[in-house]
Formats: sequence, structure tokens, C-alpha cells
Amino acid sequence: MAENNKKSILYPPGGILIWIIIYIELITYGMAMVALAYYGSQERAIYHADSLLLNKSIAMINTVFLLSGGYFAAMAVQFFKKNDFGKTSAYMLWAMYSGIAFLILKIVEYYSKFAAGLDINYSPFFMNYWLLTGFHWIHVMVGVIILFIIRRSIIKKQHEASLEDLEAGTAFWHMCDLIWLLLFPILYLLF
Amino acid sequence: MEKSLKTTFISLLALTFFATGASFTATEGLVAIMIILFSVAKFLLVGLNFMELKEAHNFWKIVFIMYAFLISLAYMLLLK
Repeated sequence: MAENNKKSILYPPGGILIWIIIYIELITYGMAMVALAYYGSQERAIYHADSLLLNKSIAMINTVFLLSGGYFAAMAVQFFKKNDFGKTSAYMLWAMYSGIAFLILKIVEYYSKFAAGLDINYSPFFMNYWLLTGFHWIHVMVGVIILFIIRRSIIKKQHEASLEDLEAGTAFWHMCDLIWLLLFPILYLLF
Repeated sequence: MEKSLKTTFISLLALTFFATGASFTATEGLVAIMIILFSVAKFLLVGLNFMELKEAHNFWKIVFIMYAFLISLAYMLLLK
């Protein structure tokens, strides 16, 4: 039934409510990132110097963690559609591990920046860095919690779990990927 | 479908490695445009394939692609 509804404007994958949330988030982050690009273009040399203080390699590994989590979550949905709840659960677990790895590596990065005195008051670039990545970190943490709750409900009540719930949960998870895919270049690669 | 997801995932990783590698050479001009295009390609791949927007109503696809286009245009105009 959900498959047939997907072509309807009212039933995007995961339901219309999660997509309203996703677009609100994307627009909010989008405005902040364009503002960062604008101010960075006005003082390019200063933003470039600050950007060099970030670690591109750590950010690239974190991107790989998030993309892996996205792949595992997408695979979980495919196996759920085949009623293979064992593989659905396993892929969701791997998605959660990827998210947790991202969160831990980000804490390591935060600690090194904080220890070096690069806090939120250091410069406009670092104010943006802390605010944008900090809020994104919270979103990833919420995403891990959502995956945990949905996975537990799939394990406990396999026949009551709905595809739309799983798709909505994984859509939130993918939203964290989407935001990061736009944050990563603007903070780490382009200045 | 699983094969398509795996291909998407490998493409995403390749684009990430290329963009990061390119950023070590320069951050302006053609390299900047390439990094932005790679990022938008990844954004679209995640949305259309992982989130299955390619199977959704055209409205959702068009809004998503428009968003990616506008963000990339803003990045290019400001940071190229």
C-alpha cells in the first residue's frame, strides 16, 4: 500500500511530516551556510587562515562514517520490504555504529580545537564552525536514538512495525547526511 | 535495488576522496567549482537513491533538485 502511495504528492517516502521537517532544517542550515560563504568571501584571507586550523582528514573520515550509516539505513529499508527482519535489524545496528563513530570522532576533534584555544569566541569562522557542527552533532545523536527505538520495536513486534515508521526514521538519518554534505565543503574544503 | 545502493555508496566515497584530495591543491577557481559540483552530486545521490526520492512524486524531486541547484549556485558565486 505504502509503495503504491509513493507517487502521490501527499506520500513522499517516510510521509509528508518528516519531509516538512527535512525542508525546514535544510532551509535553516542553507541560510546559515550561504551567510558563512558570504562573510567568508568578504574576508577570504582570514577565513582561509582559520580553515587551515581544521583537520580535513578527520572530517573526511567523518564523512565516510555518515555515508556508511546512510548506506546501511537504506539497506535496512530494502530488507524490511522483503520481510527479512533479521537483516533489517543488523543493518540498522551498523547504521547506529556508524553514527556513534561519527559522534566520538567529532568529540575528539572538538577536544583538540578547544585545547588549542580555538573556541567559539576565537573568530567569526570558529563561531560558525562551533554552532553549525554543534547543532549537526545533536541531530546525529537524535538520529542514533531514533534508529535505536525503531530497531527495538522491529525486534520486539515484527508484524506491527510499519514501513512508514522505518522510512521516516531513516529519512531523518539521511537528513543528517545531507546537511553534512553541504557543511563539509564550506567549512573544511573551500576556504 | 541492493546493487544500485552499493554503486551509489561507492560513488559517494569516491567523490568524497576526490574532493578532499583536490582541496589540498587549491581552494579557488576550477578546483573550488569541482569541489562544489562533487558535493552537490553527493547531495543528489543521497536524496534520490538512499532516500528513494526518485520513486516519489515529481514535486518532491523538483523541490529537492532546486534546493541543491540554489545552494551550489550561491557557493559558486561567492567562493569560486
